[in-house]
Amino acid sequence: MTAVTEAKIRRRVLPSPITGQEIVLVGVIVLLWAALAVSTPAFLTAGSIQPLLVATAPVALVGVAMTIVIITGGIDVSVGGAIMVCSVLTAKALVGAEVNLGVAVLLSIAAGGVLGLVNGVLIAYGRVHAIIITFGTANLFMFLGLRIFGSGTVNGIPGTLAFFGRGPDGRTLGIPHAFLITLVITAVAWWYLRHTAGGRHFFAIGGDAQAARLAGVRVQRRILLAYVLTGVLVGLASCFVIAQGTSTLDQSVGSGKELAVIAAVVIGGTSIMGGRGSVLGTLLGALLVQSVVSGVTQLGWRSQLSDLFVGIFIIVAVGADLLRARARRAR
Amino acid sequence: MTDEIETPRLRLTAVAKRFGAVRAIQHADFTVRAGKVHALVGENGAGKSTMIKIVAGAEVADTGEIEFEGEPVKLGSTTAAIALGIATVYQEPQLFPELTVAENIFLGRELRKAGRVDWAAQNAKVVELLELLGLPERYTTAEVGTLSVAEQQQVSIAKALAADAKVLILDEPSAILTDAEIEVLFDVVRRLTAAGVAVVYISHRLDELFRIADEVTVMRDGRTIGTYPIKDLSVRQIAHLMVGEELSDARPHRRVPDGPAVLELRNLTREGRFRDVDVSVRAGEIVALYGLVGSGVSEIAACVYGIDRSTHGSILINSTQVNIRNPEHAQRLGIALLPANRKVEGMFGFQSIAFNISAGHLRRMSRFGVFIDRARERAKALELIKRLAVKTPHERQPISAMSGGNAQKVVLARQLVERPKVLVLAEPTQGVDVGAKEEIHRLITELAEEGTAVLVVTSDLPEALRIADRIQVVRGGTTTDEFGPDASQVDLLAAAAGGSR
Amino acid sequence: MTTVAEKREKTDFVKILLTQRIALLAVLIVVVVVTFFINDAGGYLTAPYDFDYMSASLISAVPLAMLGLAEMLVILSGRGGIDLSVGAMVSLAGMVFGFAYGEWGWPLWLAILATAGFGALLGAVNGFLVSYIGFPALIATLATFYAYKSLAIVINNQQPISTKPIQELFSLSRSVELPLFGEYVPNVPLGIFTFLLPTAVAVWLLLARTAYGRRLYAIGTNDVAARWAGLPVRDTRFKAYVYAGLISGLVAVVTVGQFASARPDAGVSGNGMALPAITIAVLGGVAITGGIGRVSGVVLATLLIVWLNAGILLAFVGNEGSQYQLLALGAVLVFAALLNGLTNRRYGGTTS
Repeated sequence: MTAVTEAKIRRRVLPSPITGQEIVLVGVIVLLWAALAVSTPAFLTAGSIQPLLVATAPVALVGVAMTIVIITGGIDVSVGGAIMVCSVLTAKALVGAEVNLGVAVLLSIAAGGVLGLVNGVLIAYGRVHAIIITFGTANLFMFLGLRIFGSGTVNGIPGTLAFFGRGPDGRTLGIPHAFLITLVITAVAWWYLRHTAGGRHFFAIGGDAQAARLAGVRVQRRILLAYVLTGVLVGLASCFVIAQGTSTLDQSVGSGKELAVIAAVVIGGTSIMGGRGSVLGTLLGALLVQSVVSGVTQLGWRSQLSDLFVGIFIIVAVGADLLRARARRAR
Repeated sequence: MTDEIETPRLRLTAVAKRFGAVRAIQHADFTVRAGKVHALVGENGAGKSTMIKIVAGAEVADTGEIEFEGEPVKLGSTTAAIALGIATVYQEPQLFPELTVAENIFLGRELRKAGRVDWAAQNAKVVELLELLGLPERYTTAEVGTLSVAEQQQVSIAKALAADAKVLILDEPSAILTDAEIEVLFDVVRRLTAAGVAVVYISHRLDELFRIADEVTVMRDGRTIGTYPIKDLSVRQIAHLMVGEELSDARPHRRVPDGPAVLELRNLTREGRFRDVDVSVRAGEIVALYGLVGSGVSEIAACVYGIDRSTHGSILINSTQVNIRNPEHAQRLGIALLPANRKVEGMFGFQSIAFNISAGHLRRMSRFGVFIDRARERAKALELIKRLAVKTPHERQPISAMSGGNAQKVVLARQLVERPKVLVLAEPTQGVDVGAKEEIHRLITELAEEGTAVLVVTSDLPEALRIADRIQVVRGGTTTDEFGPDASQVDLLAAAAGGSR
Repeated sequence: MTTVAEKREKTDFVKILLTQRIALLAVLIVVVVVTFFINDAGGYLTAPYDFDYMSASLISAVPLAMLGLAEMLVILSGRGGIDLSVGAMVSLAGMVFGFAYGEWGWPLWLAILATAGFGALLGAVNGFLVSYIGFPALIATLATFYAYKSLAIVINNQQPISTKPIQELFSLSRSVELPLFGEYVPNVPLGIFTFLLPTAVAVWLLLARTAYGRRLYAIGTNDVAARWAGLPVRDTRFKAYVYAGLISGLVAVVTVGQFASARPDAGVSGNGMALPAITIAVLGGVAITGGIGRVSGVVLATLLIVWLNAGILLAFVGNEGSQYQLLALGAVLVFAALLNGLTNRRYGGTTS
C-alpha cells in the first residue's frame, strides 16, 4: 500500500459525509428564502430570521433523538405528551419554587429521561412494536401532564429561561442560544453516529436486528439508550418551549409535536424502515418546515396553509427517495 | 494417502448426530489440511449440511471426536468455533447493505482508539484483505448495498478472514455466481490456500471441483464414503460414489398417450437467469426439469407462471403462443403452480386449511363472485383433505401448526381446486417427510393419469427418476440433455453436474 | 387426579383469555361494569351509573367504533398498514358535508352519499401512495394528515358551518326507544342504528363473507404467497384505504350531527381521532403486522373503553374525569400490547 492511497483511505473513512437529500434540502431552503426575500423585503433581516431559528430549535432538537430511534427501526409518538410533562413540571417549579436556570434545565432533562426510560424498557425488553407502546405511553404522559397542570394554565412564569428565548437575553452575537445549542448537539450526534462503534451499531440494528445481535451488538441496550436519549432531549427542548412562550403555559403545549418531529426527520431523508438516516438532514428538515410556516405568515396567507406544504414536502422527499431506490434496484 | 508427519488442521473422527428419530449423520470421518482445498460432496440429504453445522459450532455432535491442530476440542457454539479460527461463509451473505465494507467486516468488534472507531487502522487491515481477495481498495469505504452479489460474497469471505480464519468453510459459494464470477472466486480460494488457510468447499457442481479442489470427501446416507485425491477420480466416478448401488426401479412404465404438447417452452430466456430453455409436455405426461440448485431451474417455473417476465423466447399453451402477464393470467390459461419456497411463497401462516386451499380460487368459491360460498368451500376443502390424505382433525386448523409434509399437501391442494391443464411443481417434496413424499409422488402420477400435463422442476435426482416419463437436464441455465425413465442416476448426475460447458 | 384435571382446566382458562381476545374483552367489560355498579351502589359516583346512563354513553361509541373498524381494515392489509389521516379526513369530509347540506341545500341522502364518496376519494389518495407507489403507510398518511387538516381549515376560512339545516341535524344524535321491547330497555342513541350498526355489519360481511375479505386477510398474512396464489395484491390493499376513507366520510356526517356544526378541526383537535381509533383496533386484537383482526373484537374494545370512560366521568369531579380517561386508555393499550407479546411467546399468537 503506497503512502498516497493510505492518505486517501484515511481521509475517506466513510461514504460522503453529506447525502444527496441534504444538498437538495439546502437548495430548497435557499430558494425558498430567496423567494421570500424578493416578495417581502423584511424577511432577510435579523428580526425575521432570529425567531425562525428559535422556533426551529425544539423540533430539530427532539428530531436528533427521533432520527436515532427511527434509524434503529423504531418510532416514538409519545414525544408530544413527554414535552407536556416536562414543560409543565418545569414551569411549575419556576413559578412555585423559583428555581434557577440550571436547576430548571436539570429537572426538565431528568423528567424527560425517566419518561424515555419507561418507553425504552417497554420496547427493548417487552418486545412489543414501538408504535403501539408509544401510542399507549403518549396517553399516559398526557394524563400525567394534565394532572400536573391541575386546572387551567400555569401563569406568571418568570423569565429565568430567557437565555433560550426570543429576546435579547437569548442571543449571543445575534445567534439565538436555543438554535446554537441545537446546532452543537446535532453536530455531536452527527459525529457520534458516524465515528463511534456505538453510533454505527444503531444503523446495524435498523438494518437487521437479528444479524446485529449475532455479530455481537448489544441490541437491547442500544434501543434502550435511543429512547432515553429522546427523553433527555425532550427535556431540554421543553425548556426552549417554555422560554419561547409568554409567561403563561397552556394545556395545548406539546400537542401534535410528535408528528411535526417525525415530519422533519422524514423530510430530512431518514428511512422510516430503519438502517439509514442523518441528523443533519433532520435539522434541515425542521428548518425547511419552519421556513414554510414563517413564509406563509409573512405572505399574509392563512397560517394553517403551511401544513399543506408540509404534507407535500413529505410526499416529495420520500417519493424521490423511493424512486431512487427503485432505480438502484433496477440497475 | 495421509501424510503422517503433518498434523491436520481439523480432524473429525467417527462423528454421529441424530435429530429425534432421524439419523442425520451415522458415521463421518473428515480431515482438513492447511493450504489445501477439501471438497465435500453428496446428494441432498446425505448429511453435508449437518456436517458443516457441526464444524461451524451451530450443532453439537452426539458422539465422535474433533481435533483442531492436533488438540481435542469441543465446538459447543459458533463463537467457540470462530474463536478457534473456523469461519463459515453461507450462501446468503449476512451483511448490512447500508454500512460500508470495512464496517461490515468489523461490526461488533471494531478497533477503537480514544473512544472512537479507529477507521485508519480498520481500513488498513481491510485494504490488505481486499488485496488478498483481488478487490479494489476503494471498496473499503463503499456501501455493501452498492456491490454485486459476487462481491458481497467476497466481503463475507473477507469478514471470515478478518477473524484470522484458519479453516474457511464455503457453503455452495458458486450457486449464486456467474461463470466469470466463479473464476474470481477460484482465484480468491487459490490465494487463500497459498496463505495457508484450509478451505472446505461444498458444491453440487462436480466439474468445478476438478479445477479447485485437492481432495474430495463423498457422503451418502449420513456416512462419509471415503476421501480421495481429486486427480484420481472423474465426474462419473464421483457421481457413482454419491449415488451408490443403484436399485433397479421396479416402477412399471406408464404409457403416455400420444398427442400434441399442451405446454411448450421455446428458447425461453430470462437475461442473467436462464437462456434458450426448450421443453414440451403432453397431456398425461410427467416431464422433469432436473438441475442443480442455482442452475436456473427454479426461475424457469416463476417465468411460466407470470411471476417474472421472460426476455425472449415463447411459451405455448395448446400450440398457441401466450404472453403470461401475472399469476392470475396463468391460472386463467389453466396453469397451476406449486411454489418452491413453501413458507414464503405458499403458506398463509396462521390461516386455516380451508382458507389456504380456497385462496387462489375465490371467484369460483363465491356466489356472484362476491360472497364466499362457505358450504362449497368446506366441501371442497374436505374433499381435497381426503384425496391428499392430509392429517388434520378439521379443516379449520391453522396451517402454521402443521408438519412440513402436511402443509405442503395443503398448498398442493390449492392447485387442484380446479383441475389444471398444466401443473408446474417446483421442488414438490423439499423439506417433506418420507411418507408424505411417497403420497405426493403417487398423487402426481394420478393427476397425469387423469390427463394433466405435469412439469416437475426439481433438484432432487431420485425424485426426477422416480416420477418422470422424460427428464430434461438443466445445466448452466439452459436445457442440455434429455433422458428417459430408464436413465441411470450416475448418467443424470454427471450430465447435470459435470461435463463441459 | 382431580387436582391435575383442575389444574389443566385452570391453564385452559388462562390460555383462552390470552389467546381469545374476545373472551378477554368480554371479561374486562363485565369487570368494569360491575365495578362501577358497586361504586354506584356505594354512593361514590357523582351520578347514577345504570343501564340508562350506559346506553346514553353509547353516543360516543359511534365515531370511535367506526374509525376503529376503518383502522382495522388498513392494518389488516399488512406491510405496516396504518392510517394517521382518519381524523383529518373526518374534518375535511365534514366541511364538504357542511357545504353540500348546509350551504348548497342538497337533499340529506345525497349530501351523505357525496360525503362518503369524498371520504373514499381521500382514502384513495392514501391507497394510491401506499399500494401503487410504495410509500410506507405511516409516512403517506402522515403527509395526507397534514394536507387534509390544512385544507379543512383553509377551505372555509377557519369558520365552522352551522346553518339552520346543520343545526337541525342534532336530532340525529337523539336517543330513541327500540321497537317491540323498547319499553323494557333504555333508549338507545339513534346513531347506533343509522350509522354504527350498518357499518359494523357491512365490514363484518366484507371481511367474513366476501371474496374481498379473504383477499385482504391473505395479503395481510403473507403478500408474497398472495401474489403466487394469483391474488391482486395492490388492488386489494388500495381498496382497504378507500374503505377507511369512506367510513371516515360517514363519521364526518355523524360528527357534524353531534356538534350541530361542521367544524374545520372536528377530527384533529386535541388528541385527534386517529390515535384513539388505532388504540381501539389494537385493543380489539388487530395485529399490527396484518392479517389478524375481527369486527367483534373492535366493537367489544369500543364498548369497554366507552363504558370505562363513562364510569370515570362519574367517579371524578370536573375535568379530572377526562384526564383519567387518558390514563385508562394508555394503560389499557400498553397492557394489551404487552399481553400480545406474552401470548406470542407462550402460545404462538392470538386468534383475534
